[in-house]
Amino acid sequence: MKQQLIQLEINNQLYEIPVTPRDLLVDVIRKKVGITGTKKGCGEGDCGACTVLMDGAPVLSCLTLAITCQGRKIITIEGLADEQGALHPIQQSFLDHGAVQCGFCTPGMILTTKALLDKNPHPDQTSIKRGIAGNICRCTGYKKIVEAIGAAADRIATREVK
Amino acid sequence: MYLDEFEYYAPKTADETFELAGRLGSQAKVLAGGTDLILNMKQSLLKPQCLIDINGVKEFQGLIYEAGKGAVIGAATKISELEHSAVLRDKYFALHQAARELGSTQVRAMATIGGNICNASPAAETSSPLVALGTKVVINSAAGERELPLEDFIIGNRKTALEQGELLVKFLLPEPAPQTASCYTNIGLRNAMEIDAVNMAVNLTLEADNRTVKVLRLVMGSVAPRPLVSVEVPALLVGQALNSNLIEKAAAAAAGEAQPISDIRATAEYRREAVFVLSRRVLQEAFNAAQEV
Repeated sequence: MKQQLIQLEINNQLYEIPVTPRDLLVDVIRKKVGITGTKKGCGEGDCGACTVLMDGAPVLSCLTLAITCQGRKIITIEGLADEQGALHPIQQSFLDHGAVQCGFCTPGMILTTKALLDKNPHPDQTSIKRGIAGNICRCTGYKKIVEAIGAAADRIATREVK
Repeated sequence: MYLDEFEYYAPKTADETFELAGRLGSQAKVLAGGTDLILNMKQSLLKPQCLIDINGVKEFQGLIYEAGKGAVIGAATKISELEHSAVLRDKYFALHQAARELGSTQVRAMATIGGNICNASPAAETSSPLVALGTKVVINSAAGERELPLEDFIIGNRKTALEQGELLVKFLLPEPAPQTASCYTNIGLRNAMEIDAVNMAVNLTLEADNRTVKVLRLVMGSVAPRPLVSVEVPALLVGQALNSNLIEKAAAAAAGEAQPISDIRATAEYRREAVFVLSRRVLQEAFNAAQEV
C-alpha cells in the first residue's frame, strides 16, 4: 500500500515519517523512529508495556494507529530525563526502591505513574494500585513499585519539580 | 499481530462524517477510541476496508450539563473525561461509578462512551447505568436525525439499531428529579481490568416523605443478551415505604428475572446468585443516598 508522510512530535522533536494507515504507533516508534524504550508486550491492550503519553494522557501504542497521532504531543520513556540527562524523580525513585527487576514493564509503569501524579500529586496506596492496574509486571514486583510511586510523589512534592 | 490494509478517512466536521458513512456504507467502520475495534481487527474478527476516524470532529466530543435540562454527552467523549467529571459525580453517580470501573487508566484515556455502547457487549460497563438513568441516544445520517431510548438502541448481543450510514452522535440524560439517587455495582473475577460477570445500576426517586419509592429503575448487565430492565422490582417497590424485608424480596425477584448463561467468566447459577446479592446491595445504597439528597 502507498505510504504517506506524516509528522509526529515525539519527545519534543518533530519527525517526518512515511507510514501506511495500518502502521501501529508502537511499531513506528520502535522501528521507524528507532527509539526502543517503548516495549511491545501482549499487543492486545492488556499489559501496558507499550504505554506512551499522548497530550499527557497514558495511551496504549499497540492499539493506536500512527496516522491518527498527527498534531499530538507524544512522550516516551526517553523523553522523561532532563536535557542534561538527569533522571526524572519517578525514574530515580524506581531505581532507589529496587522497583525494576527485568525492566520490561518499567517504561510503561513509569509513564503511567507520570500521568497519575500529574492528575493526583498525593495518591494513597489504593489510588496508586488503581492507577497502575493496566500495567502488568510479570516479575510480580508490585510491592516495590507501589512504594517507589509513593516515594516519588513525596519527592516531587518536596522539591516541587514536575 | 498486524492489521490488514484499509483506507483511512479523518473527517473534520459532522456533515463530512455523515457523507462518508453514507457513501462507504458497510465497507467502513467508525474509529473512536479503538480499544475494541483495533483489537478486533488484529484478531481478524473484523476486516473493514475503510476506517472513518471521528476523533477530529469537535461536535462529537464533550459533556455539557445545563441545570434543569440535563446532560448531553458526545459519543466520542473519552471515558476518562466522564470519570473525572464533577457534574457526573454529583448528578449521575451510577455513570461516574461505571466509568471508574471500566478497563484500565490507559483504556479509559482512549475508549469512548459511544464506542462502549455501539460495541454492544452484554458486559459493557456503561450501558446499565445509562439505561437506568433514562438516557436517549441521538442517531444521525446524511438523511437526518432520530432519537431512541437507549434500551431500544441495543437490540441484542453486539447488535444495535444502527442502519447503514448512521452514527450514534450523542447521549441525552434527563435532569434527575428531586430526591433521586443512582448507584452502580459490579462483580468479576478480579478487581482490576476485569470484564464484568454481572453489573447492575439503579436509579431511585423517593416521595417527599423520604421513605416511599416514587420511581425506580433497575437494570442488569451481563445476564442477558442486552441490558435487562427489571419489571418486577419496580412493581414490588413503587408506592411502598422501603425497608430491608422489601429489598430482600425485590432482590429475589431480580434474580428470578435474570437470564444468565454459563461462560468463561461465571456459571449461570453463580450469576443468578450474584444478581440477588448485588441488587440487595445496590437498592440499599440508592435508598440511603436518595434520603440524603
